[in-house]
Amino acid sequence: MAVISGVFMLFVAVTALLYFLVKKEWRWVVLLIASYVFFWMNSKWLLFIMAGSSLFTYFIGRCIHKNTRTAAWILKENAAVLLPADKKSIKAEKKSKNKKFLLLGLFVNFGILLFLKYYNFFGGNFNHLMQLLGIEARARSLDLLLPLGISFYTLQAAAYLIDLYREKYAAEKSPFRFLLFMSYFPLITQGPISRYDQLAKQLYRGHEFSYERMTRGMQLILWGLMKKLIIADRIAIPVNLIFDHSSTYGGVLLLFAAMGYGIQVYTDFSGGMDIVRGVSRIFGIELAENFRQPYFSRSIEEFWRRWHITLGAWMKDYVFYPLSLSRFSKKIGKVSRKLFGSQTGKKIPTFLAMFVVYFFVGFWHGAQWKYIVYGLWNGVFIMSGILLEGRYVWLCKKLRINTETFSWRLFQIARTFLICSVGRLFSRGENLKTAFSMIKGMVWTSGRSSFANAVKGGLGLTPANWILLLLMLLLLVAVDMIHEKGISISGFLGKQNLIFRWVVYYLAILSLLIFGIYGNIQGGTGFIYQQF
Amino acid sequence: MKEQIISILEEIRADVDFEREGQKLIDDGILDSFDIISIVSEFNDAFQVEISVEDLLPENFNTPEAMETLIKKLQQE
Repeated sequence: MAVISGVFMLFVAVTALLYFLVKKEWRWVVLLIASYVFFWMNSKWLLFIMAGSSLFTYFIGRCIHKNTRTAAWILKENAAVLLPADKKSIKAEKKSKNKKFLLLGLFVNFGILLFLKYYNFFGGNFNHLMQLLGIEARARSLDLLLPLGISFYTLQAAAYLIDLYREKYAAEKSPFRFLLFMSYFPLITQGPISRYDQLAKQLYRGHEFSYERMTRGMQLILWGLMKKLIIADRIAIPVNLIFDHSSTYGGVLLLFAAMGYGIQVYTDFSGGMDIVRGVSRIFGIELAENFRQPYFSRSIEEFWRRWHITLGAWMKDYVFYPLSLSRFSKKIGKVSRKLFGSQTGKKIPTFLAMFVVYFFVGFWHGAQWKYIVYGLWNGVFIMSGILLEGRYVWLCKKLRINTETFSWRLFQIARTFLICSVGRLFSRGENLKTAFSMIKGMVWTSGRSSFANAVKGGLGLTPANWILLLLMLLLLVAVDMIHEKGISISGFLGKQNLIFRWVVYYLAILSLLIFGIYGNIQGGTGFIYQQF
Repeated sequence: MKEQIISILEEIRADVDFEREGQKLIDDGILDSFDIISIVSEFNDAFQVEISVEDLLPENFNTPEAMETLIKKLQQE
């Protein structure tokens, strides 16, 4: 059951009806059943992998919790007689035991993900290496299926266990409630990657029906559908055409494809997020924000704080901080200060942690080298930005550039968008070779189709479709600009009179029906991030 | 201690007025993760403490006062 399909909308309507019909204390059970039905309809028997991982994570969580509580009880009961050294030893023992539980939990969760998603990648690279070494050893390729949302719920499970280890909150008591946290249907397809302390309580509390909230949810769904069906799936036509025949196109067209894909992936992913956040809002459950107008960013570093926010936050809390503050990092810091001096030397450990983060960001997207290069492309620009910051300031002063002007801001935004777009050639291109060939083709255009010829053909879209696309992009920029100023369009609409509101809704529905690109009506349209 | 904290903060981010009332350095997105790591490293050296990853919560870094409370707590441990 695809999120964009009539069946899904009916499924949401029935679930919402049942949710508000049953007693408040049982409402979370409706969500649990609905989530498992949704999962079953998408992944069939793979449901048992997800349920197994969830129960195992629940069990490990309980073990960590029990161990922490026992240590706290011993410390409290014997507070008067324990010497500081004894207290320290009890705490150290607790930490060591909890670490073993945590490592086991992470090993199983990431083990399943690594095996199902990355086995063939490692096998293929192993075979390649053996071939280069002239050794007769082959890893067999396996036909493995991925449970829906495994890349997302695995990160959720890992965050839960690490937070328990860090004693951020208490473990969930009920296994069934925990199953819901891991499988909540609006976020299982492509996130947002949610934290237990932000989501769980909302899930378990029976929410009252609210007409106002439902309307705001529907508005978000409508806007999400418009972004996905009118913009993303329309711009995908010329973008796919160029990517599929990338060797025949050259120059500006390849740059257009890269930028077009940037717009496609933004409207596809953020549109999908709007839809699931809207659905969840109907139940009274607010999901974490995943986008904050990312294309208004003035640097790649800022872009990653505004794009796929929940993945960035996960990487920051569970990879970047622990790595940056690790003993290993401190040792590297000492050595690099000696080698490169205090100023540059102290930045080296942070850069290494950053390098690891962007390696993982890339690898998380898929089991191919191109994704790793995509991650590192972003990492390299962030690192160079920090390293050369002083030089940039000096250069701006020398060239007498006023960095507080609108034009400079616009230049920074355009530069960030360009760097992001070229980087996307790695994630969207068929493989690394194609991506590099496309970058080369942007400059070296000989033997490739001319701009004029391709434009004459329309690149798969009629002139009317191009005009519509342009108008929709202007609307998108306007909406993002309004949100950037902190104004809520939903709040504004809510204050208007009934006729005005319904005219807007009808226009939105009509534009969806007339201008939406409906590929496969029965199966619905898939999302890019669903495959990651 | 507060003066020393502010002087460290200003050395890392000269563009921020750390004594402005009502601002939340983390929640308002003023300090990023790089700044946090630099601040932690400087605090560890200056105040002889070991700020761990468990302490990296927004509420401990939102204001210079919160940072002071964290450092004092760690010094007592």
